Amino acid sequence: MKAPVRIILGSAVIGTVIAAALLSLFWTPYDPTAMNIAERLQPPSSVHLFGSDPYGRDIFSMILAGARGALGVALAAALIGIGLGVPLGLWAAAGRSWVDEILMRACDVVFSFPAVVVAVLIAASFGPGARNAVIAIGIFNIPVFARLTRNAARGQWNRDYVWFARSAGRSALGISLTHILPNILGLLGTQATIQLSIAVLADAGLSYVGLGTQPPMPSWGRMLEESQTMIGFAPWLSLFPGLAVVLTVLGLSLLGDGLGALRRLHRSPGE
Amino acid sequence: MSQAHAVIPVRADRTRSAPLSRRAGCLRQPFGAARIGSRLLRIPLFIAGFLVALLALADGARAADQLIIGSQLEPTGLDPTITASSATAQVLFPAVYEGLVRLEADGVVKPLLATSWDVSPDGKTYTFHLRQGVRFHDGAPFNAEAVRFSLERIIAADSINPQKTELTALDHVETPDAETAILRLNRPYSRLLQVLGWGPMVMMSPASAAGNALAPVGTGPFRFFDWKRGDSIVLVRNPTYWGRPARLERAVYKFIADPNAALAALKAGDVNAFDAYPAPENIAALQADPRFKVDTGLSQAKTIMALNNARPPFDNLQVRQALSYAVDRRAVIDGAMFGYGEPIGSHFPPQEPGYVDLTGRYPHDPAKARALLASAGYPHGFTVSLKLPPLPYARRSGEIVAAQLAEVGVHVDLINLEWMSWLEQVYIHHDFDMSIVAHIEPMDYNIYGRDNYYFGYNSPDLQSLLHRLDAATEADDRRSLLKDIQIKIAEDAVNVFLFDLPVFVVRDARVSALSHLTPVQLVDLAGTSIEAGDGTADGATGNAAWRGVLACISVLAIALLSGALWRAGPTYLLGRLGLLAVVLVAASLLIFVVLQIAPGDPARYMLGMDAMPDSVAALRHRMGLEGGAVPRYLRWLGGLLRGDFGVSYTYGVPVADLIGERLRVSLPLAIYALLLSSGLAFLIGLYSALRRGSWIDGTLSAVSQLGLAIPEFWLGLVLVLVFAQHLHWTSAGGFPGWQGGFLPAVRGLTLPAIALALPQAAILGRVLRGELIDALGEDYVRAARAKGMSERRALFRHALPNVLVPVFTLLGMQAAFLLAGSIIVENVFSLPGLGRLVFQAVTQRDLIVVQAVVLVLVAAVVSVTALADLACATLDPRWRGRRER
Repeated sequence: MKAPVRIILGSAVIGTVIAAALLSLFWTPYDPTAMNIAERLQPPSSVHLFGSDPYGRDIFSMILAGARGALGVALAAALIGIGLGVPLGLWAAAGRSWVDEILMRACDVVFSFPAVVVAVLIAASFGPGARNAVIAIGIFNIPVFARLTRNAARGQWNRDYVWFARSAGRSALGISLTHILPNILGLLGTQATIQLSIAVLADAGLSYVGLGTQPPMPSWGRMLEESQTMIGFAPWLSLFPGLAVVLTVLGLSLLGDGLGALRRLHRSPGE
Repeated sequence: MSQAHAVIPVRADRTRSAPLSRRAGCLRQPFGAARIGSRLLRIPLFIAGFLVALLALADGARAADQLIIGSQLEPTGLDPTITASSATAQVLFPAVYEGLVRLEADGVVKPLLATSWDVSPDGKTYTFHLRQGVRFHDGAPFNAEAVRFSLERIIAADSINPQKTELTALDHVETPDAETAILRLNRPYSRLLQVLGWGPMVMMSPASAAGNALAPVGTGPFRFFDWKRGDSIVLVRNPTYWGRPARLERAVYKFIADPNAALAALKAGDVNAFDAYPAPENIAALQADPRFKVDTGLSQAKTIMALNNARPPFDNLQVRQALSYAVDRRAVIDGAMFGYGEPIGSHFPPQEPGYVDLTGRYPHDPAKARALLASAGYPHGFTVSLKLPPLPYARRSGEIVAAQLAEVGVHVDLINLEWMSWLEQVYIHHDFDMSIVAHIEPMDYNIYGRDNYYFGYNSPDLQSLLHRLDAATEADDRRSLLKDIQIKIAEDAVNVFLFDLPVFVVRDARVSALSHLTPVQLVDLAGTSIEAGDGTADGATGNAAWRGVLACISVLAIALLSGALWRAGPTYLLGRLGLLAVVLVAASLLIFVVLQIAPGDPARYMLGMDAMPDSVAALRHRMGLEGGAVPRYLRWLGGLLRGDFGVSYTYGVPVADLIGERLRVSLPLAIYALLLSSGLAFLIGLYSALRRGSWIDGTLSAVSQLGLAIPEFWLGLVLVLVFAQHLHWTSAGGFPGWQGGFLPAVRGLTLPAIALALPQAAILGRVLRGELIDALGEDYVRAARAKGMSERRALFRHALPNVLVPVFTLLGMQAAFLLAGSIIVENVFSLPGLGRLVFQAVTQRDLIVVQAVVLVLVAAVVSVTALADLACATLDPRWRGRRER
């Protein structure tokens, strides 16, 4: 697939998800939290487009409302990663070699913490809620962005224009902000889309161990987790949230790939 | 979760390795590149052939007198007198341990190790006449001395028995002769006989009691044989049993935590029965399936919505009653339990003798609830929180109750807590408004008379009823007092009484019923039999295979070290190794500090809800949990330097052994998955790079994208569904162990390895393709092509060797992740791996295990990074120059 096709396709999917999230703020066919035990476990029909769950809630409404949580968690986690990881990466690239070594080894250590352990610790210490999902996923985004930024920035530091800026007496901080950062923004943006797609999956994984978004707020991950044992007799319960996750991840990853390919096409020689 | 973990290292490394590959780009053929390239293409074919051969292998021999019972919870120790884990009693009582008496399903007390007993008229002296000729499994005699030892051990000052509070009436035990034990009480206690039929009151031998947590010795029809932690416990027939010998030769308890894995194990025939099957939603389908029989019954578990009576608004009787009217029990049972379970109106199970049906006291009546709330001063309702423990019945009931209360104006904030936080906040510190939990202890109505119990109910009337019940020895008096107690609790609407939890035993239709004694929820295997059961035969040792794996890793590490020494010199090598040591020490400090923030107490977890504070303190002392953080850290670090990881709080065995056991599964699994994923990735990457832009490239890329987007547990589920449940090629989960030989072990790891390998292969394949295309675009390759070199030759001779270093770095990172990041896959396939160990340990606050596992993982990742650096130093002569920049 050509880069523009991927970008268009990816944007279309993500646009739909964002639209669903926005729409759910004003309208859903049913109240996504309203239970109706009498109408439980209905297969998809014109009454319940995607069927109903064991409490008689409307799956379609829950999917729409769940888009908010999925996007919100992913976005917040990416912001944590960018907000802390990019400055650390710039510092590692600009600083002395021991600073670099310490920061990168710290990244290794954070990285090798089992994510589930971190999630349990956060849930135990800060109380439950979507917030702890954001923190848990965000923590693992920090070393990703730090490493990426550090590697990309190091490439920039060897470039001639940086040498000129240095000989003109500019500080390392100034060079990092005015020269290095603008030059690696494209790369960071591409990685951000990828991290977003990972976060959507991670949110589903967190729910699997019971640590994601809390009820009654609908969550795709929790819907998937709770419907696992019911695949045999109510496949729609896991089919639709599963499709929602797969499509969103696919859309984000297509978008990221397309942007990456585009950047590769247009990059200056020697980069 | 783990999917994220899976992907992150790779993405990071892709960017990390990009400049590296280009730097290595000028290298001309560091090693026989062309040969390697074509060989690499053959690897996946070998793997595919290998897999087919494995899957075609038939099962081992079948034993006829072995029963495999699935169970959700694994015991934390094997001594029911020192842990509250219901799993301990479930597995070992009365199969291995026996008590003086036996509680029958209808609540009647029958003789067991005592053949008869007399109670003095004042109710303060119980004389037990003991069965003669009974011996413990180690040959020690069972006599009055053993009774005195067992019971006085429970009431001792440093006792950590979870039910110590039930024996506070016992003063001492007298042993006039070997066959008579006289229990002297300090006050009448008419519950005593029933209580003596519980798991924590079993008889032990003075000679072996201390070791019972690891090697249980009882008097029962089965002897303990083996415990594979995280996987199974094996019991064998006791040939010298005093009663009728068991019909089964062996009973194996297999622990399968995931409800879906439990279903899969039943359907694939991996287990012959499942005790306390966890998912009511599957019961209807299992009942309809002729291969299975389902025994359903009621348990002792009274599911209640506890109200904090000490806190407004629940200090107001009208508010509590309003809530009782507002909840529709039937709808809760239908929605949360799929119709199974029996509504209750007080804290008493419906099947017990003496039960009074009070479910009609507060019928579902929202209008009345609103009126009561208005008259209590809350016409517009109020907002409260509902804290829920991590149990499916509680979480599901909570969602429904919250919706029902909203209809009468009570807004409920649902707060899902993990078990340790629930114990801390709700049970110990009483920091809650409402909570839902099932009280599983039999006949525990006396908790309503306790001072400072978590729901904060304080009624002198009820306390006097309870005292009178303790003193009543006549059956009629007891019955009428029990009735008054139930009514009083219901009238005061102390809690909202929801339903009695059902128990399901699912069994292969060929297995005779596992007789279930409801008062103490146990399986009595003594009379169980099976027609031609399944089971794999024990084989020769597979330790050679395991040692081979370790040897290969050591050889690889030594080769890299000497390679780096040769290329980069001793200074560089020592510098890297020194740095490694510093990082590890720093990491140990960081891990220790981070884990200190976790609230919760492993001693409390072990001893459960009814433990007395001095029991918890005694256990904390035994675990070495006292003292400040600094001395504890130094002690831990000192131990680490001597190679001692400490002793697990919950399992009571050395942490190094636990990790070693799990590594025997996790390490081979990681290597297996890595082989699969790299084989597949090289196929995808090489082919796509060669034919980039073709439709096959497009398809492969689309498939990879999809592979990355599918949640891990979905993939696992589908694999189990197709290969285990429908085709019966492999078992649905579990690990046969290396002692059964190499091939069965590898077979057991095949499906999980595939589930782990596919997403990794998709990532690696994409990275490889990108790197190769980049390398093919380099000037020197273009020059070679211009001179007429074929595309294929350019790929294998120039591009491939130059991307191997970054790709192997990435592979190393994936290996480190695969070691423990795969907790979801381990759950889906119930493998006793490192990921599940660390998850279980962190939920139980067995922090010494968590510390050790995390340190091992950090060490793995940091070492892999260091080894990758060494590999680069070895392969790239200019690397050294760059390092010394």
